[in-house]
Amino acid sequence: MKNKHHVVVESKRLKYEFDIKRNITVIQGDSASGKTTLLDLLGTHSRYGKESGISVQSDVPCVVFGGDASLWKIILEAYQDSIVFIDEDYPFIYSKDFAELVQASSNYFVLITRQPLYNLPYSVQEIYGIRTTGKYHYPEQVYHEFYRIYDDSNETLDKEVLVLVEDSKSGYQFFSKAFKQGECVSVEGNSQFVGKIENAEENKKVVVIADGAAFGAYVAKVTTIAKSRKDVMLYFPESFEWLILKSGVIGIKDLDDILAEPEKYIESREFLSWERYFTDLLMTATADDSIKKYDKSQLKPYYIEGKNKDAIIAVLPEELRKIMG
Amino acid sequence: MLRIFFGEKEDVMHGPSWFRFNYDEEWLADPFVEEMMTDIDKSHYKGGQLIESDVLGPIPPEKLSGGLQTLICIYKRPDLVFNATSCGENCAKWLAEIGRREDITINLRYYMPFDDCNDIEIEILNDNIKVTNAKDYMHEALKYV
Repeated sequence: MKNKHHVVVESKRLKYEFDIKRNITVIQGDSASGKTTLLDLLGTHSRYGKESGISVQSDVPCVVFGGDASLWKIILEAYQDSIVFIDEDYPFIYSKDFAELVQASSNYFVLITRQPLYNLPYSVQEIYGIRTTGKYHYPEQVYHEFYRIYDDSNETLDKEVLVLVEDSKSGYQFFSKAFKQGECVSVEGNSQFVGKIENAEENKKVVVIADGAAFGAYVAKVTTIAKSRKDVMLYFPESFEWLILKSGVIGIKDLDDILAEPEKYIESREFLSWERYFTDLLMTATADDSIKKYDKSQLKPYYIEGKNKDAIIAVLPEELRKIMG
Repeated sequence: MLRIFFGEKEDVMHGPSWFRFNYDEEWLADPFVEEMMTDIDKSHYKGGQLIESDVLGPIPPEKLSGGLQTLICIYKRPDLVFNATSCGENCAKWLAEIGRREDITINLRYYMPFDDCNDIEIEILNDNIKVTNAKDYMHEALKYV
C-alpha cells in the first residue's frame, strides 16, 4: 500500500482524527489517553458497520486484529490494502515471524505498545501518543488527536563535541571526514548508543546521529539517557541516503516531490522502511556512473569532497553545520 | 517495597483481563483506589457498578483504563505478579506509592521513569540491585529493556 490515509472515527461522544502514512505506526503514551477506546470503536464498527452508531471515514478499510492469537498469521494474511490495528496484548507483534509478515504485506499496521519492537525498523516520526483537546463537558463530544512523542533535540555546541554515528559505513565515512573538531565515533549498532552516551566524558557535548526511519525501537532509551545528561543533541534524519538526496547532488526526476511526500512513492510490500527506499533510489540513480555510484560500504570521493560535501552539510541543522566543514 | 523484574517473564498476570473477571466491588470504594481513579482516568466511583468518567460518561468498572485496572490489581493482590507494561508513565507515582504501602513485585517490559515520585526504593530483580533514586534506577533499568 502507498499514500497517506486520513482516518476519522466518530461516535456521539468521541472523535478521533489522524493520518497513517507508513507501514508501521506505533501508539503509546499515558494510561487512559484513549488507545483501547479507539480500538473498541474501530472493532465495533468493523463488526456492525454504521448500525453500530460509529462512523469511520477512511479511503481504505480499518480493521482491528482480534480472536485466536494462535491463528494470527492466517488472519493477518487475509487482510489486503488495509490499516490493521493491533493491541499490545498480542505477544506475536514482537516476533521475527511478525516482522517477516509486515515486510511482505500490502497493509499498514498500527501497533499499540510501549514495549520496543526490536525486530521491526520503524520510524521515530511514527510513534504517537493520543491527546484530547478542549475541556471535558460530558455529554459533549471529546476530540482526540495524535501527537509525535519523539523529536530531534537541539543543543548549543559551544565546547568539545563527541559525535556518535550509528552507521559504520558510508554515513560514518562522511561524518568522520566532515567533522572538523573533536571526535567522531561509529557506535556500530543502535543498541550501543546508551552505553556510549553514558560513558562519554563529562566535559564533552554529545551529538547522536541515527537513521530516524528505523530507530523507533531505540529512541526511548536514547532520549532518556540524553535528557539525563542534559548536553546531548539528537538528530534523526530519515537516513544518510536521504541526506544525500535532499542535498541535490544527485539529479533525479521528481526528486523534490518524492522527498516532500515519500508516502506517495513507497510501496509497503517492496520496502519495509523508508530508509531502504531511499538507499534503493540513490543506488539505482547512480548505478551507471562510476564517479557517483553509491556504495554503502565505500563512499565515493564525489560525496566527501568540495561543493558536494558542502551541499550535504547544508542539509544538517544549524548547530551541526557549525562543527562540520 | 516495589520490586521490578524487567523483560519477558512467565507466570505474570495480564492486569486488564484479570481485573475484568476477578475484581471485587468493594475495592472501588477504597479511598486510595478512588484517588488513583481520579488522577489517571478522570473518573469517580458512584457506588455499585457505576463509575462516572469525565470523558465517557457513566461506565462500568470493565471500561476503566487498562493501566488503572492493573494498578488496582497490583494494590489489592500483592501476592500476585502483574505485567505493569499496561501502565503508562502516569502510573509511575502510584506504583511507587503502592510500593511504600505493600511489598509488591511487578514485571515491566519498557522503561518507565520514576523521575517525579519523591523518595523511591526499588529492587531490580534481574540483578538483585536496590536503588533509592531516579538516576540510579534509570541506569540500571535501561540495561534490561
